[in-house]
Amino acid sequence: MTAPTDPQPILRVTEVRKHYGPVQALDGVSLDVSRGEVVCLIGPSGSGKSTLLRTLNALEPIDGGQVVFDGIDVHARQTDLRRVRQRMGMVFQNFELFPHLSVLGNVVVGPRQILKRPLEEAEHQARELLGKVGLADKARMRPAELSGGQQQRVAIARALAMRPDMMLFDEPTSALDPETIGEVLSVMKRLADEGMTMVVVTHEMTFAARVADRVAVFDRGRIIEVGPPQQIFEAATAARTRDFLRHLDWDGASDLMS
Amino acid sequence: MIFDFTFLPGFWRFLLGGVLVTLWLSLASIGVGLMVGLAVGILRTYGGRAMDAVLSVYVDTMRSIPLLVILVWLFFAMPLVTGRSLTPLAAGIIGLGLHLGGFVAEVVRAGLASVRAGQMRAALALGMSVSQAIRVVILPQALIRMMPALGSLLVITIKDSAIASVIAAPELLYKSQVVIGKTYRPVETFTIALVVYFLLSWPVARGVDYLYRRVAHLGAS
Amino acid sequence: MTFDWSVIVQNWPLLLQGAGVTIALALVTMVIAVPGGLLLTLMRGSPRAPVRGLATAFVEFFRSTPLMLQVYWVFYVLPMLTDVQVDAFAAGLTALACNVSAFNSETFRSGINSIRPGQRQAALALGMTGLQAMRLIILPQAVHRVLPALANTWVSLFKDTSLVSIIAVSELSYVGLQLRSQTFRVLEVLTAMAVLYWLMGYPQAKIADWIHRTCKVTE
Ligand SMILES: Nc1ncnc2c1ncn2[C@@H]1O[C@H](COP(=O)(O)OP(=O)(O)OP(=O)(O)O)[C@@H](O)[C@H]1O
Ligand SMILES: [Mg+2]
Repeated sequence: MTAPTDPQPILRVTEVRKHYGPVQALDGVSLDVSRGEVVCLIGPSGSGKSTLLRTLNALEPIDGGQVVFDGIDVHARQTDLRRVRQRMGMVFQNFELFPHLSVLGNVVVGPRQILKRPLEEAEHQARELLGKVGLADKARMRPAELSGGQQQRVAIARALAMRPDMMLFDEPTSALDPETIGEVLSVMKRLADEGMTMVVVTHEMTFAARVADRVAVFDRGRIIEVGPPQQIFEAATAARTRDFLRHLDWDGASDLMS
Repeated sequence: MIFDFTFLPGFWRFLLGGVLVTLWLSLASIGVGLMVGLAVGILRTYGGRAMDAVLSVYVDTMRSIPLLVILVWLFFAMPLVTGRSLTPLAAGIIGLGLHLGGFVAEVVRAGLASVRAGQMRAALALGMSVSQAIRVVILPQALIRMMPALGSLLVITIKDSAIASVIAAPELLYKSQVVIGKTYRPVETFTIALVVYFLLSWPVARGVDYLYRRVAHLGAS
Repeated sequence: MTFDWSVIVQNWPLLLQGAGVTIALALVTMVIAVPGGLLLTLMRGSPRAPVRGLATAFVEFFRSTPLMLQVYWVFYVLPMLTDVQVDAFAAGLTALACNVSAFNSETFRSGINSIRPGQRQAALALGMTGLQAMRLIILPQAVHRVLPALANTWVSLFKDTSLVSIIAVSELSYVGLQLRSQTFRVLEVLTAMAVLYWLMGYPQAKIADWIHRTCKVTE
């Protein structure tokens, strides 16, 4: 559409299809993501946003199409999947912190066990990252002792500890109390400002409008519209996009733009 | 290895009789076990501290003495105390039932505990007596949650009934041994017995699993 | 009716020896059946259908038939299948170990299934292997559910060792039943045997209860 095609996107999704029994969760989805770009996926519940995200790091196998990450065909048989996953951080709606490990343990476990970094180095980096998400003082606590917003920030730190080239977020604030949503979004905004490549499934339209370089609208397993936030929020071409936004009581993003 | 089942036509009626006794022994034991276990479970929960302490000794004794030892003691030793002997089948039913009762009691107790305390208070506030509240309000809720665990005890009892062969209760395993004594075909006979026991307990076990999945959501209160 | 408890005193060493064999049998069985159960659990999760089928059949068979019959069956059939002469102890141990492995496998499986799938996904998304996810993330969490069930299995196993008396393994029950027919002091011998089991089993039941309580608190 409007975005100029990047000759070398870090992620190229081509005609991906995926069904669960009779449900066609992804019905030919294509999307390019450039280095440093933030793409927000929006759309009604059940439209396939989470499914797409999980196919990007092959947590879900696909029925057809292709996902190419930095030149690697993710779903090819010979691909070293673990290497791909190490380079794509993922943040879940329900945090999925490991409850039997401390906050620090959660951030350390990847570098220690997967990358085989020395403990001191891993812990040092983990403390830095916890500082970055504003939780330096919580290192010794258990995940269950933290608020939802704090847990999600730990989850972000855990993903960053692998030094990923790209981050995937699946509705990172949907399970949070309203008062803690902001702290997570601001961490994400900072990450975007630092140039991290991000794909974010979200219902936070304000965040999408402010932070996204492009917004992709899902409906029934397809992307029906992609474009910069202004275009999607102010001048959507697809009727279903306008329906969806009206349903969310989206009253225009003019005050957020500029 | 050569299997030889040619003896079977002469003995299948005899073995079938054993199957029927196994079923009867299991069902009767479950009847005894349910009555004992229900009473013990309720008394432990609502009967006060002293009652709980005394009955916990019964439950833990059943958990710590092997069924084989219980059966052998009831059949061989107890008559020397009471002066009255039991038939193998009666000793089997009493022993299996009492043993099972200890386990049923634990299931009942856990089931009763799973019903929120507010339910009892609500029932009492309506003016019910404690026993009414248990019967009308608490037990019906608890029973649903106890079903899967009681179902597994059913399977366990069918299998445990084979232990009554040591006191010559004429159930399937005992009758298999009799057949072996006459035919000297232990492998074939025991294999038949295995298959029969499997056919008796496996469907029950699967049924219990099915029930458990159906009922699991009711457990969440 | 007169009782003569001296028979117990005289044969005390024999009874103790039987109790020792009982304890050893239970211990060795569990030492085999914990890795055995884990192996069966892994096999049941295998992507290969024959491996899965074999493990499932094994587990269903040993869970759905009487242990006493399994003991007989192993005792008579194993020598025919393998042409090696197994002694009674080995046969009894084999039957017990197979039986308890099957039950342990169920315990492990339901413990693992109780951890929500997101945990595994999160571990894989970090780049862990399936085995790493199992070892570092899922098993440590499943322990709280597995330990109490294992404790129950242990308490049952301790009693179930009595069933190998039918093939003349000289554990406590066998010793007791032999003494009974040699001395004719039926009541005394059988009572002493029951009391010995009680003395050993009662504390175990209490410890199992304690494990149940401890694991609940940390959950
Ligand atoms: N594991 C699964 N098994 C079966 N069906 C699934 C599974 N995961 C997703 N689906 C189905 O696929 C479709 C797309 O689901 P998906 O979770 O991707 O939607 P979504 O856009 O993320 O919705 P939401 O906003 O509710 O998270 C839905 O119809 C859903 O029911
Ligand atoms: Mg979703």
